[in-house]
Amino acid sequence: MRTAVELSWRLLRGGGRRSMVGSLLTLAAVAVSTGLLLFAVGANHAFLQRAHADAWRHPGDSVANPTAIEALSTDYVQGEPVTIIDLAALNGDAPVPPGMSRFPEPGEVWTSPALAHLMKDLPADQLAKRFPSPSGTLGRDALVHPGELVAVIGRTAGDPATTARRDVVEHLGATGGPSRIDRFETDASWSADVYLLLAGLASVLMVVPLLVFGGAAARLTVARRDSRLAALRLVGATPGQVVAITTAEAVLTAAAGALAGLVLYAASVPLLTHITIAGGGWFAGDLWPGPPLLAGVLAAVPLLVGASAVIGLRRVVVSPLGVARRETPPGMRAVRILALAAVVIAFGVAGGGLIDMGRAGMIVLMVFLVLAFLAINFAGPWVVALIGRLTAATARRPARLLAGRRLVDDPRSAWRTVAGVALTGFVAGFLALLNAGPSSGGPPDELRVAVPYERSAAVAGQAEKRLAGIDANVSVKRTETRDDPLDADGPVTTTGVVTVTAPGGTAAVDRARTALTGLVPGKVVTTGADEDVTGDRLLADLRTGALTVLVVSFLIAITSAGITSASAVLDRRQAYAMLRLAGTPLSVLDRARRQETLIPLVVMGGGSLLTGLFFGLPFAQGFGFSGLIGLAAFVVLGFGGILGAGALSRPLLRSVTADPAPRPD
Amino acid sequence: MTEPVLLGRGLVKRFGTAVALDGVDLAAGRAEAVAIMGPSGSGKSTLLHCLAGIMKPDAGEVHLLGQRIDTLGERRRSALRRGRFGFVFQFGQLLPELPAVENVALPLMLSGTSRREAVQAAGSWFGPLGLDGLEHRRPGELSGGQAQRVAIARALVPRPAVVFADEPTGALDQSTGHDTMRLLVEATKHNGASLVVVTHDPSVAAWCDRVTEVRDGRVLQRAA
Repeated sequence: MRTAVELSWRLLRGGGRRSMVGSLLTLAAVAVSTGLLLFAVGANHAFLQRAHADAWRHPGDSVANPTAIEALSTDYVQGEPVTIIDLAALNGDAPVPPGMSRFPEPGEVWTSPALAHLMKDLPADQLAKRFPSPSGTLGRDALVHPGELVAVIGRTAGDPATTARRDVVEHLGATGGPSRIDRFETDASWSADVYLLLAGLASVLMVVPLLVFGGAAARLTVARRDSRLAALRLVGATPGQVVAITTAEAVLTAAAGALAGLVLYAASVPLLTHITIAGGGWFAGDLWPGPPLLAGVLAAVPLLVGASAVIGLRRVVVSPLGVARRETPPGMRAVRILALAAVVIAFGVAGGGLIDMGRAGMIVLMVFLVLAFLAINFAGPWVVALIGRLTAATARRPARLLAGRRLVDDPRSAWRTVAGVALTGFVAGFLALLNAGPSSGGPPDELRVAVPYERSAAVAGQAEKRLAGIDANVSVKRTETRDDPLDADGPVTTTGVVTVTAPGGTAAVDRARTALTGLVPGKVVTTGADEDVTGDRLLADLRTGALTVLVVSFLIAITSAGITSASAVLDRRQAYAMLRLAGTPLSVLDRARRQETLIPLVVMGGGSLLTGLFFGLPFAQGFGFSGLIGLAAFVVLGFGGILGAGALSRPLLRSVTADPAPRPD
Repeated sequence: MTEPVLLGRGLVKRFGTAVALDGVDLAAGRAEAVAIMGPSGSGKSTLLHCLAGIMKPDAGEVHLLGQRIDTLGERRRSALRRGRFGFVFQFGQLLPELPAVENVALPLMLSGTSRREAVQAAGSWFGPLGLDGLEHRRPGELSGGQAQRVAIARALVPRPAVVFADEPTGALDQSTGHDTMRLLVEATKHNGASLVVVTHDPSVAAWCDRVTEVRDGRVLQRAA
């Protein structure tokens, strides 16, 4: 093995400028792959950290020997949610909340830095007066993201705020309890679970093309070496020696690339913290996977690249002469498309029942998505080859003919370039048109709180008193709701909705909110828009997530296009040089290279985007095209980037065709 | 010799301080085959590149059918190479992705001929060059001799005035090289084109009407 490493090192150093270019391309590809892989892993880690930071606020079930009472509610300021956790100690063993040095005393309020900041910035009658004077600042362990608005309020056990039941809207993660607890929850809440699931899905969308791309990078090294290795094989090197030499070379290059990828990721983290999900950016620390995961990624990348190199070498080892001659590649089998059809049919049969299966259904859905993803990845090259055949068959100009033939020649390489965009395009297209609909819950200046009807007049009276001096009208609406909506003859609850109209915009509404704080213990007066915040946010987050994955896919496509086109120039340098000598304009060669990427990108990437848009059309409410404009911007930048990356190898093309006497190596 | 189709006069080419061509004259008449012979580094390939408009000589003139071409810009020289010259190299000149017939049709398509006509014209060269049935094979599926014959077809398909061949049999065994040279000379002459062959192999030069020997950038002698 030592001989293999030494020989590889010599080959790497002594391979000449072009060989070095090949190695540098591999290194760059591995660096980008590693950087993006760390992003995928880091994002999951960050969501997990958020889930941990969020878990303690959601009161669990009451226990037999409680030490504290915990309740959760959500207030709003400037339309943004403020998470309020009411805590009361039952004895001296009350657990210390995360991010705090001790359990809060009755009458104390601990605020997040962002809330403290806002309390100072806004007039006191809009926010600060809702709370007692702050006694402490919550540490980051208590916070989901740096800009989060959180208040922990200390109460006595008998305080109405710690005894009044919260509305049961726990599925939105906005309220909960009060519960008699002996420890804080550590399991992810329902809403955090949704984000974890989506993050996992996004990672699958990013990681699979990354691995394919990383593997391709490894094979690029092999491609650079194959003729020389075939020569080694011909002079009697054993298959084992050939494999060892190339694998060592690929692993050495990949190890350097992985380290470069780590640096790349480190440099990107400050930018990544600004991606807004669930109402805020990220703690930089959360985006760093722990040391074991980090070490795992850095070790796994060179190993995977090595494994991929071994697979790429199989042909050299099996047939030393095979690589020296360019033969017609075996046609792609239609079974590739059949596999995709099988997954689609299976989903059609089983998909409908998944919703009723709860969490198990979600897992099956994930499995289906992964299978569909793999099937599309499996079918992709077949489709690219088909596009290539059609392009070649219908080409009238030489550039298009060359592009079509090249797609047929190596459809996998073209697919690798466009795979990510094609796979993400549908989701991004679908989500781009989805807009938050108009608020379903009434005008934005109308605050409401629901109480038993018999208490509503008294509550309205108190509200009017509190609102003295503020331009606001108080009214009561009587509503009847069935306890069980499906049981037409079941019991009916009569509710009085105390409605406060505070015209004058956000400031007026916030003044009214502040005046009405604690009006009904355990309840917060809210507008219709407040109730939509979580849903709107989830939709916005889905779109942000899809666009992030699309951006990553475009980055993979851009790097892949750059590397593929550069390696194609190196692979075909003799033919290019000869064509150039024979008077072929450089522009024709360039156009052929461009079309080789652009045709599958437009057909598959553009096709999947448009399909997504088409499917999203029925759900587009009010045709707010802001999402579409964002998507269009990404697509234009992405396509431009891919063409730009391809154009980067134009000087390389010029340099290989400028040599008036091309010789093999 | 009839009126020369290609004429190089007093050609000088330097690379830094090294003199590759030092006042070389060379002419090729219609349907005439001229060999340029010489050892490695003698300047024979540089001479071919200057005559074919690939390089500009530092001094001297190159004329094609009476028109001076060495003073033309790169774009016009490229167009000239595409339409009026054909090239056959030692190897590596065929695009591996294209089937043989499309490799041959490519120069015509580059000059604006429709694909259908270009492929039709290309196909007509396969029979005379003994390539029948190989139209849809890719270069990797052809033998060395077959690939060179495809390259000859490609050089001749635009009906060039001059075909330049740089060591056209260098990668072939003697027997295949012999057949390839015969086909190259016959097909070129049949087409009415001049042939300029650069070689260090006397048996290749023997196929030509005249041999110009180059040594240290100068013409040594002319043999019939």
